[in-house]
Amino acid sequence: MSFISPYSCLLRATRSLQLATASRTLSSSSRFRIVADAKFPVVPSSNDKLQPLTQSQRPVESPVKADGNSSVETPVKEWANRLTDINFNTRLPRSVQALYLRPLRRKAEYGLPVCDLQLRSYSVRNLEFFADFAIRAAYYLKLPVSGPVPLPKITERWTFIRSNFVHKKSKENFERITTRRLIQIKDGNPQAVQAWLAFLRKHAFYGIGMKANVWEYESLDVGKNMDDTLPAVEKNLEPHLSRFGRQQTETSPTQKPLSDFLGNERLSLKKGPLVKVRSV
Amino acid sequence: MSQFRSKKLDIGGFINARVIRDHTKRKVFEQYEPDRQALRYIIRNTSLPQRVRAQAQLQLSTMHAYTRPTQIKNRCVAGGIARSVFRNFRLARYQFRMQALAGELPGVRKASW
Repeated sequence: MSFISPYSCLLRATRSLQLATASRTLSSSSRFRIVADAKFPVVPSSNDKLQPLTQSQRPVESPVKADGNSSVETPVKEWANRLTDINFNTRLPRSVQALYLRPLRRKAEYGLPVCDLQLRSYSVRNLEFFADFAIRAAYYLKLPVSGPVPLPKITERWTFIRSNFVHKKSKENFERITTRRLIQIKDGNPQAVQAWLAFLRKHAFYGIGMKANVWEYESLDVGKNMDDTLPAVEKNLEPHLSRFGRQQTETSPTQKPLSDFLGNERLSLKKGPLVKVRSV
Repeated sequence: MSQFRSKKLDIGGFINARVIRDHTKRKVFEQYEPDRQALRYIIRNTSLPQRVRAQAQLQLSTMHAYTRPTQIKNRCVAGGIARSVFRNFRLARYQFRMQALAGELPGVRKASW
């Protein structure tokens, strides 16, 4: 109990207050119960560490007194008013409000497709949710987006026999339906697209697969650029390419020349008509 | 064959003599695949002398049976059964039914249309 923060205590106090205000119209017996409820957060105040908590709990004590005495009810009303104010006279932050509205979109200037993201899932709800999330994320990264386009469903069906002998003719069908959505990014900065994809991967939703096709646009002299980048690419590829080549184990025949590998002396000793080796 | 079998159990899932055998065959095939391909290349290469090619044929036919890819048979991961094993799930039909009805296969439902 010593770890209760003052804030949570306050919350609890206000909750009990709400109860108290709501039960004004109820009978006196129910009011007693609420009084006991309102006392509850006072209990941990006996601890030394929680001394400042008693400050926040003061409004709790007032409804306790208010039961007997109606003149002290004014602070209660204030609290209640404040709570209703929060509900009616304030608005949510814009970013939160936007969640209740359709996702915002940037307008594409040129309409060049840069990235195709395909989402797949077996459940439509999760898929819709994540597609919505992806579109909102793209808006905040200033990427113009089109979609989500519902692609055709993939239906796989399997039929099994229910039993293997007498009841062989009775069958059972199973299916798995994959729903897909396509989200296309248009004329976005490639780095922003990468950031968007990384963000989606970081916040990947359960049961949703993602597949992205990314296109890059080059200037007209592509060949020259590729030639310039070749040494760097080769350097990157070297560790991969070095794995190809001859096997280095004992069983491998490729270490020796082919004639050795295939039968060694017999090939060289017996000279038949067909043995004229061209170039091995 | 016992000379290929690993001394310690190196697979999980359903264990069975036949499952272990199949697993061994897969490993042996993987190990010897380059050799087989080299021999196959020599046999088919018409620019090589006939003798060499015949020799390669002999070599290939004397290789152990376990090095052949045709020895490998898909087996059910959960039951070890070799018949009606579905590639997508690596399960045979009975295990598939049981697991699908229990809801353990994501996305798989009873179909009616």
